[in-house]
Amino acid sequence: MKLAALLLALLAIAPASAQSRQRTETPTKTAMAAGLAEDTVEVKVNYSGARIVLFATAPTPEDATSGLAVALIGPGAPQDVIRSTPSGVQHFEFVSAPQVFAVGSEPQVAQSVSPEVMTEAGLNASAAALPRSDQLNSPDLEAWRTAFVNLKMEQGLYLFSDTTIERLDGGLRRARIILPPNAPPGEYRVRAVAFRDGQKVGESEKVLTLERGGLDRTLYDLSRQHGLVYAFLAILLGTAVGAVAAWMGRR
Amino acid sequence: MLIHLPIAQVAVDPLILVLIGMGVGFLSGLFGVGGGFLLTPLLIFYGIPAAVAVSTQANQVMATSIAGVSAHWRERAVDVRLGTLMLLGGIAGSTVGVGVFSLLKYFGVVDTAISILYIVFLGVIGGLMAWESVGALGGTGGDPGRRTRLRVWMRGLPIKRRFPRSGLYISIIPPLGVGFFVGLLAAVLGVGGGFILAPAMVYLLGVPTRVMVGTSLFQIIFLTAYVTFLQATFNGTVDLVLAFVLMVGGVIGARAGVAAGRKLKAAQLRLMLALLVLAMAGRLVYELYVAPKPEYRLEEKA
Repeated sequence: MKLAALLLALLAIAPASAQSRQRTETPTKTAMAAGLAEDTVEVKVNYSGARIVLFATAPTPEDATSGLAVALIGPGAPQDVIRSTPSGVQHFEFVSAPQVFAVGSEPQVAQSVSPEVMTEAGLNASAAALPRSDQLNSPDLEAWRTAFVNLKMEQGLYLFSDTTIERLDGGLRRARIILPPNAPPGEYRVRAVAFRDGQKVGESEKVLTLERGGLDRTLYDLSRQHGLVYAFLAILLGTAVGAVAAWMGRR
Repeated sequence: MLIHLPIAQVAVDPLILVLIGMGVGFLSGLFGVGGGFLLTPLLIFYGIPAAVAVSTQANQVMATSIAGVSAHWRERAVDVRLGTLMLLGGIAGSTVGVGVFSLLKYFGVVDTAISILYIVFLGVIGGLMAWESVGALGGTGGDPGRRTRLRVWMRGLPIKRRFPRSGLYISIIPPLGVGFFVGLLAAVLGVGGGFILAPAMVYLLGVPTRVMVGTSLFQIIFLTAYVTFLQATFNGTVDLVLAFVLMVGGVIGARAGVAAGRKLKAAQLRLMLALLVLAMAGRLVYELYVAPKPEYRLEEKA
């Protein structure tokens, strides 16, 4: 599939506002910004999927605990988890959950940031699955979320180790996020969050829209908008391939 | 190298799909079965969504059946008259089968009913074929005897017609009935039905094994075209890229299967088909009663 990645909008939270908010919450800490300036984001796409490469400015001054975490999240879709038990089948409905969740962080971030802070930073895959309102207080919510994340990992759509962040000169970071080959088209968020001393100190986000292109898009659109034509095309293809094979067999 | 499938929405290795297509195509050419009962689980196992696998295999089976039937056609081993009769019965049976399927679904027993039906039919058909074939291999290795009690009873039925290609003079009721029954099972079980039709033609109707393969493939062409049309029009689950890659392997395999079939005795062919059918039954028994089942599964909403 030729995935054409189209950068739609820059939703980067202005570093200034991030600094301002951070100053209010943690006045003793030095404000940092994980800026994703428009001209420092690079998107690469290839046939077998996509690899998103982004550059992020590193916060200064740096210490042993400061670092970045990046994530690719989206597109949201309703999804059901079904549990088979000896007594029957149970359903749990997530009204919206990201179909792809790829996250990676620098080693010092992984060591110093607690799961609660990661959740607050929007980097916890489990917390991104939103249950139906009447199931919000279900005692089994965490178990269902864990099962959901495990199932998505089995599908290769939730990735927690395939994102690499390299430290370049001048505090620049380069992150490579592997987009799963079976990632659906739609709207994705690319998030970069800066941490220091185990706390979030800045964040930035961009929206990416992945669209189908070429033959992939033509066939998909044809099957959805002109099912009858697509059906005849399928029968024609089967007949043609079979006839050619029969003809070749005679020769 | 991976390719992305536009309808299935997954990336796959085309080489693996070609090999899967070749394997199933070989069996199709050899035995005169469509191969859907093998292809669908193989595709699902490879990661293709079930709905797309079920729909697309029909398109692929159609192509391999055309390739396979051409060789039999040249050898005048296709009984069009008999095939058309069974096809008519099959379409009627499929229509009733869809209703039966809905009824089973309504009572919430569809999964269990399908699994048990599969096991019973595959086990009985495979067991009888294996028993008869082994006995035949000890003798001439040809077709089973034509004077069974059931066939003597069928000779008394009205509306008799000649089927010269099969060397039969029988009532049209049994071919229609066999077609209907196979169509009904095919609709309920969600398969083409070739693996039931092929032995039914030999043992119930007395069709020679040589003619059975070509005639079965002849009928499968139209049945799979019908299924492809319905699935593509109403469900949009036929993936043309997936179908094409499978077809490439399938037609190569089908030709090889036909060539291999010529080198085997009729009884050897039946014994191999019987073993294949029994293996499928064994796999189902394993899945139903032995294999551990995942506690959780995901269902993405449209």
